Amino acid sequence: VAGSDAVEKPDMSSRRVTSVLLGYALAVVSVAIALGLALLAQSQALHKVEFPLFLMAVAVTVWHAGPVPGVLAVALSGLSFNYHFTQPLYTLYIEPVDRPVFVVFVLFAFVIASFSSRRRRIEQELRQARDELETEVAERTQQASLLNLTHDTIFVRDMNDGITYWNRGAQELYGWTAEEAMGQRSHDLLQTVFPMPIDEIRSELLRAGRWEGELDKTNADGTQVVVASRWSLRRDEQERPVAILETNNDITERKRAEREIRTLNEDLEKRTTELEATNKELEAFAYSVSHDLRAPLRHMVGYTELLQKNASSILDEKSRRFMAMILESAKRMGNLIDDLLAFSRIGRAETRKTMVHLELLVKEAVHEVRPETEGRNIAWTIGALPAVYGDRSMLRLALVNLISNAVKFTRTQAQTEIEIGCTDGQEGEAVLFIRDNGVGFDMKYGNKLFGVFQRLHATETFEGTGIGLATVQRIVHRHGGRVWAEGLVGRGATFYVSVPTLSRSTV
Amino acid sequence: MSPLGRILLVEDDPKDVELTLIALAEYNLANEVVVTRDGAEALDYLYCRGSFTTRTNENPAVLLLDLKLPKVDGLEVLQQIKSDENLRMIPVVVLTSSHEERDMVASYRLGVNAYVVKPVDFHEFVNAIKELGIFWAVINEPPPGSVRRNALG
Repeated sequence: VAGSDAVEKPDMSSRRVTSVLLGYALAVVSVAIALGLALLAQSQALHKVEFPLFLMAVAVTVWHAGPVPGVLAVALSGLSFNYHFTQPLYTLYIEPVDRPVFVVFVLFAFVIASFSSRRRRIEQELRQARDELETEVAERTQQASLLNLTHDTIFVRDMNDGITYWNRGAQELYGWTAEEAMGQRSHDLLQTVFPMPIDEIRSELLRAGRWEGELDKTNADGTQVVVASRWSLRRDEQERPVAILETNNDITERKRAEREIRTLNEDLEKRTTELEATNKELEAFAYSVSHDLRAPLRHMVGYTELLQKNASSILDEKSRRFMAMILESAKRMGNLIDDLLAFSRIGRAETRKTMVHLELLVKEAVHEVRPETEGRNIAWTIGALPAVYGDRSMLRLALVNLISNAVKFTRTQAQTEIEIGCTDGQEGEAVLFIRDNGVGFDMKYGNKLFGVFQRLHATETFEGTGIGLATVQRIVHRHGGRVWAEGLVGRGATFYVSVPTLSRSTV
Repeated sequence: MSPLGRILLVEDDPKDVELTLIALAEYNLANEVVVTRDGAEALDYLYCRGSFTTRTNENPAVLLLDLKLPKVDGLEVLQQIKSDENLRMIPVVVLTSSHEERDMVASYRLGVNAYVVKPVDFHEFVNAIKELGIFWAVINEPPPGSVRRNALG
């Protein structure tokens, strides 16, 4: 027994003797130790211990070094036993009477060897199984921690909706820790509101293996969240559903923004409808004005003229002047109505924008005001003008108004000079100017120039309805441009108009 | 004197009727003017029905048509005339107070022969009526089946 301790000693219980040489060395050493112990025992007059000692050496060798070194140990043990402990001593001769002992020894050694090698094989297999298991555990642990890395909400529940996995994203979104969530019924924990009966969702999930939809849930702190939820069904080898993996994305903010946009759109639609209605009303109003307001005027003028014709011989000078006044006022009223209607049409009409060559347009406009220039001495200076992007007929009307104004307010000059040209403006716009040497205006009243019915001169000096420049401004504004003027009393005026040269989406 | 065609005036406003007739009379064109006061009456005349069942079945040489009319408005009358095989050849002149572009576009689409905006100034109005009357009732050769008589005076 003491011998076995000695044999175990050489630090072999922990370390595997894998090297073949070490295995054979073990065989030799263990047999040598057994022999030494046996001889020691013999010298101490202890008999019959050598046989188990050698068996022990064989067993130790087989156990640690495997069957082949074991065979060596058996052979060495047999030889040592034969040499030292069987008659005749110190020879390798075996007496026939001792032979069964050797046979038993060898057989016994082989039994030990076979048990040992079997055990080693089992141990080997076990180790392998353990290693595999360890690898798998490591892999799973890694996967689980990977799922925890994402901020997406992921959890797994069994077929009874009990939560079996809860990642960091789930904790971040819902506020429940994994410890709190595990084992809870997910729909109860999160107070899930489904967009359709849960049975329909379940049957869809079982049929297709997946389901997607938007769900309302409640956080640990009681706040509501809307999530885009995806469910995937997990089945075992027998195709039985075992778990549901649910991935949720927080879309509360998006839904809120969508709602806001919807509300804004509805508001806008309502306003557009209202605006359209107003526009229609306005149009009907203008239509009615142009029909019904002009008719009585026409009648007034008509009958007054007839009266003038039929009765002027019996009327005195004063009465004839009264009739002339009636006619003048009625005609002025007619002009006002026409101008107002034209002005309102500009506000209502759709703009049809194309590239418009200003040079050509200016020539047309100058031609149009020709009747007003008859008998006048006018020096026209028309510079090079660019092409702009706008509604041709509207721009034409604006130019006619401006040029007609220039002609009108230079009437008092012996020599009239009107210059039309282009000056530098901002990028993407052309600035057109119309300069005259007429009566000009006081810059103090510059802001009144473009107002409807605003006039800076008495009607008897310069006729007009006070709508022309308002029309110009409205046209320019509808093009996204600006209009302004510079002037000095008695020293002429310059009107500036900026118009986009490129198509702009802002107007 | 050249023969005058019959003028059918469709106008609801009595003052406009009077002024138009005066203008036509100034140039001796008023002898053969039939006045109807709304679109329905005008169509009755053209189809010889209602109070016009007994009239001789001849088309007018020209039709002066106001647009804003009671019952059946001018554009409807125009559409009816231009879509009728027997009436479509009658020259139709729209005579209106309105400068409205959509009325003009609609009228020309329906096949109007002329579109005149009544001027506020009576002189201009008389001139316009005169020219219209002379052109359509005198110069223009009306289609077959229209009334044309020798002018009086």
